[in-house]
Amino acid sequence: MTQLNFSTPEIETSDKWEAQMRKGCLEMAVLASLWHGRLYGLEILRVLERDSRLVLSEGTIYPILNRLRAEALVQSQWVEAEAGHPRKYYELTRNGRGRATRMATTWTEFSAGLSLLIEPVLKEKERKRDL
Amino acid sequence: MTTTDTQMNNYLARLRTALTGMTLAEREDVVQEIRMHIRERSSDVQASVEETLAGLGPAEELAQQYRTGLLVQRARHSISPLVILGATLRWATTGVEGFLVFVVALWGYGMGISFLLLALLKPFFPQYTGLWVGPGEFDFSFRMGVTMTNPASPVHEVLG
Repeated sequence: MTQLNFSTPEIETSDKWEAQMRKGCLEMAVLASLWHGRLYGLEILRVLERDSRLVLSEGTIYPILNRLRAEALVQSQWVEAEAGHPRKYYELTRNGRGRATRMATTWTEFSAGLSLLIEPVLKEKERKRDL
Repeated sequence: MTTTDTQMNNYLARLRTALTGMTLAEREDVVQEIRMHIRERSSDVQASVEETLAGLGPAEELAQQYRTGLLVQRARHSISPLVILGATLRWATTGVEGFLVFVVALWGYGMGISFLLLALLKPFFPQYTGLWVGPGEFDFSFRMGVTMTNPASPVHEVLG
């Protein structure tokens, strides 16, 4: 199973197009990770890694969350944790839910169309592998 | 204070210094969040503070990501040319795409200012201000601005 890795050194060495494509999906992925409820930064990283195989570098997630908060797509709240140190939790706002829904719809339509287009390419690849 | 505390505090001090363009409260909020991340990451996952700091990247680069994100976000909602140019200039330092956007924005504002100056000067110096097109050194020339001598035919002025 291949793993999508967002860490800074990986992006530098990986294909540029692939890096740009992954980067473009980050906002949608972060918003989607908050769909079921509030999470704090480290939890978001773990959810993305577990559910979508997106491995973000730790320095990437916080500036994104800060920007999403500035755009009023998420709101944050410090909560005292049992572990001893407070955690900053993020949850989707009404605007954030709307944006996530629109992005998910666009993504689904776009990827469905593209999948049809690239089907012959993948079939050709499979045919060559079987030979 | 342990060595790891010193490492963390040094990192956070560098981050705090590099986080310009934010209010004091915003800056402290960011620093506090990163502090909690370092503490939790290095206690729960058994990662050392060094590894956690390496994962976050250099403090100055982390601060730049915050600044760029906020500037671009402000520029999206602003009509101020200074805010938009500032955002694209910051973006230009992060990659080729940002650099191209900055060049296009600079060219666009340059053209806008030129046309504005032409509109202001045209009523006072109608013969010497304008946009001239016509055959030039090669096949076609294009000249815009204020001239001390009235360009003669075969070029002609298109602004009236």
